[in-house]
Amino acid sequence: MYLAPEGDEIEIADAAADFLAQKMPIDRLHKPGAADMSETLRELLGEMGWFGLAVPAERGGSGLSPVEHALFFREVGRQCGPVDLLAQALAANAAQDTGLRQSIISGSRGVALMVADGDGYRLFGSDHADLALIVTRERAQLHPLEQAALESRAALDPANSLRVADALPDAVDGTSGETIWRLGELGAAAMLVGLAEAALDLIVEYAKVREAFGRPIGAYQAVRHTCADMAVRIEAARSQLWFAAAALKEGRGDAGAHLDAAKHLANEAGMACADSNIQLHGGIGVSEEHDAHLLLKHAMLLSRLFGSKRSLLARLLEARLED
Amino acid sequence: MDLRYSDADREFRARARDWLAGNIPNSRRPPGGSAAAQFDRDWQRKLHDHGWAGIAWPKEYGGLGLTGLQQVIWYEELARAGAPHHINTTYVALMHAGPTLIARGTEQHKAFHLPRILSGEALWCQGFSEPNAGSDLAALRTRGEIDGDHIVVTGSKMWTTDAQYADYQELLIRTDPQSQRHKGLTWLICDMRSPGIEVTPIRTMLQDEHVNSVFYDEVRIPIGNVVGEIGQGWSTALATLSFERGLGFIGDQLELYERVCRAIDLAGKVRLEDGRRAIEDDGIAQRLAALKADTIAIRAMTLADIAESDRTGMPGPKGSMMKLLVTTTHKALSEVVGDIMGWSFLEFDGDRSNNPWTYEYLWSWVFSIAGGTNEIQREITADRVLGLPKAR
Ligand SMILES: Cc1cc2nc3c(=O)[nH]c(=O)nc-3n(C[C@H](O)[C@H](O)[C@H](O)COP(=O)(O)OP(=O)(O)OC[C@H]3O[C@@H](n4cnc5c(N)ncnc54)[C@H](O)[C@@H]3O)c2cc1C
Repeated sequence: MYLAPEGDEIEIADAAADFLAQKMPIDRLHKPGAADMSETLRELLGEMGWFGLAVPAERGGSGLSPVEHALFFREVGRQCGPVDLLAQALAANAAQDTGLRQSIISGSRGVALMVADGDGYRLFGSDHADLALIVTRERAQLHPLEQAALESRAALDPANSLRVADALPDAVDGTSGETIWRLGELGAAAMLVGLAEAALDLIVEYAKVREAFGRPIGAYQAVRHTCADMAVRIEAARSQLWFAAAALKEGRGDAGAHLDAAKHLANEAGMACADSNIQLHGGIGVSEEHDAHLLLKHAMLLSRLFGSKRSLLARLLEARLED
Repeated sequence: MDLRYSDADREFRARARDWLAGNIPNSRRPPGGSAAAQFDRDWQRKLHDHGWAGIAWPKEYGGLGLTGLQQVIWYEELARAGAPHHINTTYVALMHAGPTLIARGTEQHKAFHLPRILSGEALWCQGFSEPNAGSDLAALRTRGEIDGDHIVVTGSKMWTTDAQYADYQELLIRTDPQSQRHKGLTWLICDMRSPGIEVTPIRTMLQDEHVNSVFYDEVRIPIGNVVGEIGQGWSTALATLSFERGLGFIGDQLELYERVCRAIDLAGKVRLEDGRRAIEDDGIAQRLAALKADTIAIRAMTLADIAESDRTGMPGPKGSMMKLLVTTTHKALSEVVGDIMGWSFLEFDGDRSNNPWTYEYLWSWVFSIAGGTNEIQREITADRVLGLPKAR
């Protein structure tokens, strides 16, 4: 029993952190046209094998597990990484056709993330992507986008562009079952934990240097105690994230319940920390040049993906745990 | 990262579950008074006689020498079996006095006290807080004058839980009258039957008399009872507090999940004013489900901490964060149950067994004040976990 990264896991997380800080730093989002993965970034990520972490080796992946998948996406979340990055990794796990799977793992073909919304669909991802991944708890399907009639919409979250569609061409590949949903739920939870951590780091650093009334604001209890509450939420969400990741890896019967708890706590931590981070920065916190709003807007998207509050709570009420 | 229990862990759980199923007391714990203390002693003696005392204490001091994880398993099984709550009159002795003696006591202290603690023969209380020193513990003024091979103590303590039943006390006093704040303090083992000690109960909003004022009028305590060194009491006191804040609430931490499940069952039975079952109310259902997620995470956090300290041999720095999360979750659960129960939540005779949920609600303030208030836990988190500039 050990519930924190150790050994190779730490190395993978550190490598991901370094790579992403260089190639996908959060401040990219202050420049125009930075939404989604660029083709260059996608190919770089593919080259490094990041999309195939949880894909078995005999299927062309790294043959690692949901634990490494979670470690990686926590780092993606810290940099406000786009959700098509998650879609690409999920598609690498979902695609059955060997050639298609290989092109997704290598990043030569792009995948966008699609969600059903009423009778229509919403698509998050770049127009270089020619596949859309739709994931439910029952199945994951890849739809071709060439023929789809897509209409652009202005997206709140600068990390991802948004398009809508009324109908979709038939799926070309996919798989049934809950596996892909679970990797998606875990990945989104991990991104929210990373994002919450980034928010706490920002405010703690600022609170040490910003002065008001002759003292650093971090010496005022209203600030200190809010930061402490952020830290508590993060600690709980992160512990539960590791528990859920290991539960999935080990195939525990109650992995789904742990995952729902992890996503719920991550939703709450991501939103609350993004919120407090803006408030405690004062005026600069609402300025566009600051990262604070990026974290909030991305948390708003992530907390709706792969388990929103309402759906998670309904399931959690019935959930049963094992020893 | 892994969640696997060893064969020894699984075997331990099975054995604990099996034993508890046949051995938890049939009679209810008396609501208070010396009958309750006797009940606690009897239960501890029974655990001791059957080889369940001091799960993670070292073998050389009479414990079982098991891992922190196995201690977690033990508390989970206690909660599952509905065994007597571990925060009772044996609590101070087992959860922080004993561990303080193991860490800082002399061999004589250990040889004399530890067996008595494990067998339930000796109950302890904690004499730290005073009328004018609570959060600001270092402001304490109870004096000790060195007189030959004794320290003569005069002053008063306040909020001392179970002082009227305790045999011994963790007593923190000022031995250097010129000293300020953290310097010049001394941690003593005080025999509660020493002449010159007077204990006066303070009634609380729970209608009980568990906490007390304790007055010391030239109480003579042998110098051999000093734990740590004279003048270095702050350091020993911090060790005591780290045990109290680290693992002190572990039973509650793990029991909260069971309590949420019980509240969900309750909500499935109770009808609201409009005739619907409480669980059919979206607001109540969502609050219960969110609390369930919180308690699942509290368990993950507990296991993460324990696994870390089993590896490093040190309690993690996260006790304050844990106490914040556990106390706020505990209160929120009590509040939602109050909304489920409606009018019947307002019946209370002071007996935890008769009105368990109302009792828990009232107790939630004890939980968030005793052992360092939640405001102080936030201060500690801001200082030691986040490294923010000092507030003072
Ligand atoms: C039921 C019960 C049992 C107890 N049992 C014991 C026992 O067995 N042994 C023992 O030694 N003590 C015991 N205590 C005492 C307990 O540790 C203190 O009550 C607690 O530490 C708070 O101290 P205080 O009551 O003096 O409140 P104060 O310190 O006067 O605090 C008053 C308020 O001010 C806030 N405050 C104080 N300082 C700060 C600060 N720096 N920043 C922000 N807010 C601050 C507090 O959070 C609180 O809300 C018990 C208390 C209770 C209620």
